[in-house]
Amino acid sequence: MAATGTRRDWSFWVLAIFFGLFVVFLYGPMITIYVLSFQGPTGGLTFPLQGVSLKWFGDLFGQARTGDVGGAFSRSLPLALAVMVLTVLIAVPAGLAFRRNFYGSTLIFYAAIASLIVPGLVLSIGTLVTFNFLGLPARWYTSALGAHLSWTIPFGLLIMFAVISRLPRSYEEAAYDLGASRFQTLMLVIVPIVFPGMIAVALFGFTLSYDEFPRSWLTTGPKNTLPLEIWTMTTNVTSPSLYALGTVTTLISFLVIALAIGSIAIIQRRRLRAGG
Amino acid sequence: MSQSGEIRLKGVSKSFGDTHAVRDIDLTIANGSYCCLLGPSGCGKTTILRMIAGHETPTSGEITIGGQSVVGLPPVQRGTAMMFQNYALFPHLSVRDNVAFYLKMRGVRKAERRARAGEMLERVQLDHLADRMPAALSGGQQQRVALARALITNPRVLLLDEPLSALDEFLRLRMRSELKSLQNQLGITFVHVTHTQPEAIALADLVVVMDHGEIVQADTPEAIFTRPATPYVARFMGGQNVVTGTVTSAEAGEIRIAGKDGAFVAIDPKGEGAARDATIAFSIRRDRILLTPASGEVAAEPNLVVGSVEEIEYQGSFVKVTMGRDGEPFVVHVPDQVFFATPVAVGDRVAARWQAADTHIIDRPVGAEETFVYAEEVV
Repeated sequence: MAATGTRRDWSFWVLAIFFGLFVVFLYGPMITIYVLSFQGPTGGLTFPLQGVSLKWFGDLFGQARTGDVGGAFSRSLPLALAVMVLTVLIAVPAGLAFRRNFYGSTLIFYAAIASLIVPGLVLSIGTLVTFNFLGLPARWYTSALGAHLSWTIPFGLLIMFAVISRLPRSYEEAAYDLGASRFQTLMLVIVPIVFPGMIAVALFGFTLSYDEFPRSWLTTGPKNTLPLEIWTMTTNVTSPSLYALGTVTTLISFLVIALAIGSIAIIQRRRLRAGG
Repeated sequence: MSQSGEIRLKGVSKSFGDTHAVRDIDLTIANGSYCCLLGPSGCGKTTILRMIAGHETPTSGEITIGGQSVVGLPPVQRGTAMMFQNYALFPHLSVRDNVAFYLKMRGVRKAERRARAGEMLERVQLDHLADRMPAALSGGQQQRVALARALITNPRVLLLDEPLSALDEFLRLRMRSELKSLQNQLGITFVHVTHTQPEAIALADLVVVMDHGEIVQADTPEAIFTRPATPYVARFMGGQNVVTGTVTSAEAGEIRIAGKDGAFVAIDPKGEGAARDATIAFSIRRDRILLTPASGEVAAEPNLVVGSVEEIEYQGSFVKVTMGRDGEPFVVHVPDQVFFATPVAVGDRVAARWQAADTHIIDRPVGAEETFVYAEEVV
């Protein structure tokens, strides 16, 4: 510390400035939007603030709403939840399967990684063309769901790889040694140990889907999801309602994260208390 | 299920793809004995343990426990319990729940399994830590929990995979004697995998020395140490000098051998003699050799090696003096009193003498293919 009389090295200041800039660029735009969403009734899209009000939040949900925000949200939230559940149900067993060197595992791994590399807009077009070819209409709960899963499952799989790399086979063997069936081993040993990893997979599944734009672009059909609706609004809405919407959607994201982390804490506490 | 913990392996082989981990093993481990499988890493000792436990299936051969064939049976039906190398304690369960896991699998009611787990923890002196999570325990405590968790299954065979290797030296010695007294108390069969020679000698009734998937020698620790069957065993067990030479004459009870360092005479306990000109290996225990300073020329005589001191290492109760020879060092363990009465220094010429009776002829003739993979020097 400076108080001890030692002078800071020049590298400290360089790195401190670098880090400061990093934080400003990371949070600056977000904070700007949150602040501007409380713009006074006479204010515009830019600083300075003309007083403080909740008018733009009211506009968002009121009669004078600026777009189909409620409708978009009522599609984005179930979509993100469905993607979350399906990602966990598919990526977690898939990750566990990769602990055994099954035939074709390398091929499946590369196929999964390839779908992360394909540009989302291209995938969006491809999904739409395929659905047209099959004579199916594009809907948020069919084509968009599939397009999102092609993005979230490989992500979930990569998270599971990190989780299972710290899961030695001896846990299963110990359970088997103590008379547990395969199902008991899975439910009483493996799942509890990888549970935090499953929450991480779920969170990634939710947030990747909730704010996905490119893979939703052509696959949601006639009705927009939230990111598409916001994008549409940026082109024709010129009020701070846009910012209010940003603030609200961020709050929802935080709420989901808090729920997830809170549920981990509750489960762990209950497990400690219950015993046996 | 028979209560006998006698283990028999007949013609057991295990290969993983093209790799032969274990080849055609025949072994009988008596009920209630303490058996150590000893060898360098990759020698197949853990594979044998895992096949007995039911975590690997032999590619061919038969395994019986208490006269009953167990290949294909799950561990619980074999009456075996295994203690894993990293203990494999379930990190999400408390110490008590780890120990009670087996009872839970058997559908024992909660109150009863908590009580029985508590009793088992008392037995390993850990009842005061029953509500801790495994991560909050020291290595030695974790090992006791693993032991309690294995013993609550009431096994007739306890399988231990390198149980002491994760502990520090002090704890290792303490747990070693605890394992031995526990085995005496329980009277069940212990099979213990280790790569540490003193551990095997101190604990086992039966030491099984392995190399490249085969059993090289299976015998009492005393026999393994004093009468190693091959140069590999002699070198691996340590405490010996292994010398090769050519037989020059073989008479009843006595064999004369010419080696690089001169003539040796060995007592031939079996009286079988040896073929003239055959190459044989023999071992001389390092603590059965008399070291004297050699000033000037030393007349050649049997059972004598002359050389200069290359290294001196104080070991407490004895001093390890290494003499230079071609190829392999010749080591003498001099009792500390003797050494400090007539000390030698690095570079001194010394003569090492021993009795013909202390020369052990290693049974198996030395072939050109004899390999020595374990390079680590053992005190």
